[in-house]
Amino acid sequence: MSVHVSTLQARITGESTASSPLSTEEYFVNMGPQHPSTHGVLRLVLRLDGETVREVVPVLGYIHRGIEKMGEHGNYRQFVHLVDRMDYLSALANNWAVTMVVEKAAKMETNDRIQAIRTLVCELQRIQSHQLWWGVFGMDLGGFTPFFYGLRDREQICDIFEKTIGARLTMNYIQPGGVMFDIHPDFVKDVKAFLTYFKSKMPEYDALMTENVIIQERLRGIGKLSAERAIALGATGPVLRASGVAHDLRKSEPYGLYSQVDFDVPVGTVGDCWDRYWVRMEEMRQSVRIVEQLIDNIPEGKTFLVKPAAKIKVPAGVHYSHVETARGVLGVLLVSNGKDAPYRIHCRTPNFNNLWCIGEMATGGRIGDLVAMLSSIDIVVPDIDR
Amino acid sequence: MPADSVLPPAESVATPEVLPPPEKHVGVGGAILGAVPWIDKTGAVGGVFRAIRSLFGGMKITGGYLMRPSTVVTQQYPENRETLKLPDRFRAQLAFNHDENGYHKCTLCRICEEACPNVSIIITGREKPAVSKKELDSFVWRLDSCTFCNTCVIVCPFNVLRFDGTFESSVYDRRLLSYTLNQYAGPVASVLEKMEDPEARKAAMEARDPYSGAAIIAALIEKQKATKIAERAAREAAKASRVAAKAAAAAAAAAAQPEPPPEAEDVG
Repeated sequence: MSVHVSTLQARITGESTASSPLSTEEYFVNMGPQHPSTHGVLRLVLRLDGETVREVVPVLGYIHRGIEKMGEHGNYRQFVHLVDRMDYLSALANNWAVTMVVEKAAKMETNDRIQAIRTLVCELQRIQSHQLWWGVFGMDLGGFTPFFYGLRDREQICDIFEKTIGARLTMNYIQPGGVMFDIHPDFVKDVKAFLTYFKSKMPEYDALMTENVIIQERLRGIGKLSAERAIALGATGPVLRASGVAHDLRKSEPYGLYSQVDFDVPVGTVGDCWDRYWVRMEEMRQSVRIVEQLIDNIPEGKTFLVKPAAKIKVPAGVHYSHVETARGVLGVLLVSNGKDAPYRIHCRTPNFNNLWCIGEMATGGRIGDLVAMLSSIDIVVPDIDR
Repeated sequence: MPADSVLPPAESVATPEVLPPPEKHVGVGGAILGAVPWIDKTGAVGGVFRAIRSLFGGMKITGGYLMRPSTVVTQQYPENRETLKLPDRFRAQLAFNHDENGYHKCTLCRICEEACPNVSIIITGREKPAVSKKELDSFVWRLDSCTFCNTCVIVCPFNVLRFDGTFESSVYDRRLLSYTLNQYAGPVASVLEKMEDPEARKAAMEARDPYSGAAIIAALIEKQKATKIAERAAREAAKASRVAAKAAAAAAAAAAQPEPPPEAEDVG
């Protein structure tokens, strides 16, 4: 296997491959870092031949905060709240990934109530993440109305989280040894009210965007990603499943209570933007199914099994654990030297790998479709840079 | 599907609703209108009507909301301050739990200070006159560096801390983001309650206000500066005295010489 390494400078000053019969030449456009549709400080350097995209080079590092390095300077419990800031739309799943590796390594016990609450809040967060994506996707395609509707319905879930957890975005709720609080007395009632509400809103989502012929024609056939290339690039989550690979950690390596609930994994066929759209819409329905099955069956029990101030010592060695967030597989590799602080922590974040699929998707396509492709990946930039 | 050979499929996989692929535009009008995707095979404009119909389907939704103003969810924030109620657990500002007499239970165990991931809690103690243990002087919380992770609240063994929903904490001066959380300095509630005389209780307590935090930090910095100046002065004095002693020793050595220079006569 050979790795081709070239600098950005070499690519810009490299040979032109313009294919137009007119005497044109290639040119470069910087998209970002301050661009509304890159969803954060992401910079894409585009090599264009007229309207055709020849190459996309993502340039990273604008929001690097050194979260992994900061993790080495605190204990395990202090590291959990830092991963909220990686993929802020699935903060609870990030918490769970760290918690899971620490609990597995330190052999801490949990009970069914803790696992049920974790599964429930993570699925609710998957719904709200996809709702936000749906709204922003519509806005990137030029329709402002979906943004309002997506955020209006997301607000309902945020209110539920506010009551139980006390925060809306950076929650730090799932902790090694349990969850920070027990669920709020109103939690079950609120979630049921939300499910009834949201199930009546899903047809509106469909009427507004899914059934819209213009949207369908806009999305079908652009940004194709084959299953082989998706696997080779390390794509996970809806991006991989839209390419036709039914890989979901909730099914293949069930954690929490996912082995006890009944749900389907939607997969696409061609791997274009429409498939990615459809997979996420279907995932919302499946998450609603999971929440419906669990909400009446939360077992009794304690919600925090260790003393919160107790030191956690992880045996020396290398430990790994991964979860399926709303955007793909988040893996946490933990190297411990037996002390109460990690020696090294590495996070394999889903957005980093998913981002590199943009080169595969956009090459040969039109620049007008690039925003739709980027939005269909559903990137969260702080998760790419960490 | 080629992907199935690459990875084993999950247990139950939903069959995706495969939508028909985009139609080829090879009709009569296709040559001219080929770029327009909703012209159907025969070149007729039936596809256009389909598209317009789907557009009206979406516009029915938005129009429906226009007809029903009761579905508006917008909150008029600064006007609805009186009715705006944030949940109990909302993490906006760290606060002390004071009992009905205004006493707190902080014993200066510093567990929260150690648990804080970013040194947002600074606790200063002072010597207790009677007992050898220290008592709380000021509990400073820095909102500007706090990440609202709630760890300090759950680790506190005496349930002293809580997060409350006072969320309007923006100020024009960054220094005002350091709060002193304790209302008084002095002994804990359990000690105060044993005192029979209310006057003695009052005498044991020393009032603190929320904004003495920044002042205390400034005072600490001033104190450090003063200490440094004093140390430097002491160092210089020591150096001067060393030089003087050296000179005196040299003079003494010179005096002890068997053949002193003529000037030494005067000194002797």
